[in-house]
Amino acid sequence: MKLMDLARVVRSKNAGPLKITLDLMFEDEARYQRALQSPALSPGAIAPLYGLARSQVEVIPYRPALAIKVVMDRTVPSGSLGDRDVYGAQQHAPLLEVEI
Amino acid sequence: MSALDRLRAECGGARAALRVISASGQLGYGVPEAAFAEGLRRRPHVIGADMGSTDPGPYYLGAGELATSDEMSRKDLRRLLVGARSIGVPLIIGTAGTGGARPHLETVLAMVREIARAEGLKFRMAAIRADLPRDVVKAAVRAKRIRPLGKMDAFGEAEVDGAAHLVGQMGTEAFVRALETGAEVVIAGRACDTAIYAAIPSLLGFPMGPAMHMAKIVECASLCCVPGGRDTMLATLEGDSFVLESMNPKRHATPMSVAAHSLYEQSDPHRVHEPEGTLNVESARYEAVDSHRTRVSGARWEPARRFTVKVEGATLVGERVALIAGSSDPRFIANIGTILDEMSAIVADLVGRKPGVDYQLSFRVYGIDGVVAWPKPPAVPPREVFVLGEAVAPTLALALTVAKTTKQYLLHHGFAGRLSTAGNLAFPFTPPEVVAGRAYRFSAYHVMEVDDLAALFPVEVEEVG
Repeated sequence: MKLMDLARVVRSKNAGPLKITLDLMFEDEARYQRALQSPALSPGAIAPLYGLARSQVEVIPYRPALAIKVVMDRTVPSGSLGDRDVYGAQQHAPLLEVEI
Repeated sequence: MSALDRLRAECGGARAALRVISASGQLGYGVPEAAFAEGLRRRPHVIGADMGSTDPGPYYLGAGELATSDEMSRKDLRRLLVGARSIGVPLIIGTAGTGGARPHLETVLAMVREIARAEGLKFRMAAIRADLPRDVVKAAVRAKRIRPLGKMDAFGEAEVDGAAHLVGQMGTEAFVRALETGAEVVIAGRACDTAIYAAIPSLLGFPMGPAMHMAKIVECASLCCVPGGRDTMLATLEGDSFVLESMNPKRHATPMSVAAHSLYEQSDPHRVHEPEGTLNVESARYEAVDSHRTRVSGARWEPARRFTVKVEGATLVGERVALIAGSSDPRFIANIGTILDEMSAIVADLVGRKPGVDYQLSFRVYGIDGVVAWPKPPAVPPREVFVLGEAVAPTLALALTVAKTTKQYLLHHGFAGRLSTAGNLAFPFTPPEVVAGRAYRFSAYHVMEVDDLAALFPVEVEEVG
C-alpha cells in the first residue's frame, strides 16, 4: 500500500530555516503501527528519495497524535540562492508513492 | 490601578482561572471578526497576538519590511487595540512587523500611535527591542558561545558586521519586565511565540509546565483544531491544566488535533527550547471536555542551567531579476539540462563577467524539478515546462543585463535536433524580466549562550494618547 493511501495527513514545513519536517499522521493505531514498522520509513530508506545522506534524516514516532515525524537537513537554507521552497510546504511528494 | 495590579487581585497566586485569548498567529493577514468578538465576550484577562516568523524567508528581516499589507496590518491592530481597551485588559504583541528588528518595530509602533490618536485611546505602552548589539555577538563568536542550528555558511565576526539586521528571540523574561512597568499594551520585537502568552501566568505564579504548554498551543490561534483555522482561540488556565476552545463553533479542539499540534513546525515534538528552559510534553495528557473542547495537563518545565537566545540574521546578497518563460517543445524539454548549461556558458561569455563571482544565474524548470530536488528525472517527460531564470548581481543594471541576454539567447538557442527554429520559448507577457527587489540570505540561525537576558532586550515605556 502506498503511503498516500495509508496516511490521513502527509505534510511538510520548515522547522526553522535550516530544517524541513514531514509529519505523517494516521487514522488509527493499526495504520500507525503498520507505518512505524515499515522499513520504507527508516532514515536509510528516506534519505535517497531526497538525495540526502542517512545521517541527515531523523525519524521520530509521536504516539499521542498517531504520527511519525521526519526531520531532514535543508541542502539550501530557506530563501538562500538556489532554494526551491521558502516555506518548505511542498517537500512531501517524494514520500507519497513509497510502498508501506 | 494598572492592568497587572487588577490581574494580581483577581488571579494572583493562581487561585482563580486565567483566561487568555490568542487573536492571531499571523497578525496583519486578517483577524476574523466574529470569533474575536466572541473571545472578548468571554472576558479574557489578556489578549495576545503573534506578528512574525522566519517562515517567509530572509527578505523581510533583511529589508526591514513587513510581509503583511499596510492596510490589513492597521486593520488588525485597530481591532485588537480597540477590543483590548474596551474590556480594559493588556494587549501583548510579539515579533512586530514580521521580522521584529528595529524598522519593523518602529513601523508597528507608529501604526499603534496613529490608531490610538484616531480612536481616542489612552494607554501606557511598552516596546521591547530585539536588535542584538554587534559587539555582544562578536564576543560570543570569539568565546565559541554561539553555534548554528543546522547546516549553514560560517558565521564569524565579519558576518556579524555584514548582517543587515541581527535579532535575538526574547523569552518570557522580557515580557514580564515590560508588564511590570504597568503597560497596558506591549509591542515586542523578535520574540518566542510562547513568551507572549506565558508572561502573565509566570507573573501570577501559575505552574510553568502547563502555562508554557498552553502558550505553545494557543499561539497559532485555532490551528490546533479540526478543521484548523485562523479564528481566535481561548485558553483557560487552571493551575495544573488548561482547557482549549475555539471562538469559532465550527472549529473543534479534540485531543487528537491538539496533540498533533505539538508536531507543527517543530523538529522535536517532545521538547520546545526557550531562553529560560525547556518545555517537555512527553508526559502530556489530552482529554475531551466535550466535542468542542479539550483539557491538557502533564507538561513539565525544565529550567535552563544557562540562558540561551536564538539569533537570526539576514545579509544582502544582491539585486534580483526573474526571467519567466515556458515551452511546449518536446525536443527542448528532453534536452533542457544540456541547453541550460550551454546557455550559462554563452551568457558568461557575452556579459564578460565571471558567473558565480560577479553574478549568479540559475534556472528552475517547473514540470521537472522546480519544486523538489528530485534525485531522478521524471519517468515520462512533461507536456509543458515553465522555466524560471534568476539573475542576482551587486547592481540591478548587471542583473538586468544577465537576464535580458539570457532571455534572447535562450529563445533562439540552436540546440542539436531543434524543430522549432523560430523560437524555443513562450513568454506570457513582456518584458519577461521582472525586477524582484533585493535578495537576502539567512546568515545567522544560531543559538547563543547569554548571562544577562535583560540587558539584551531593553524595554521603553511611553504614554500614548
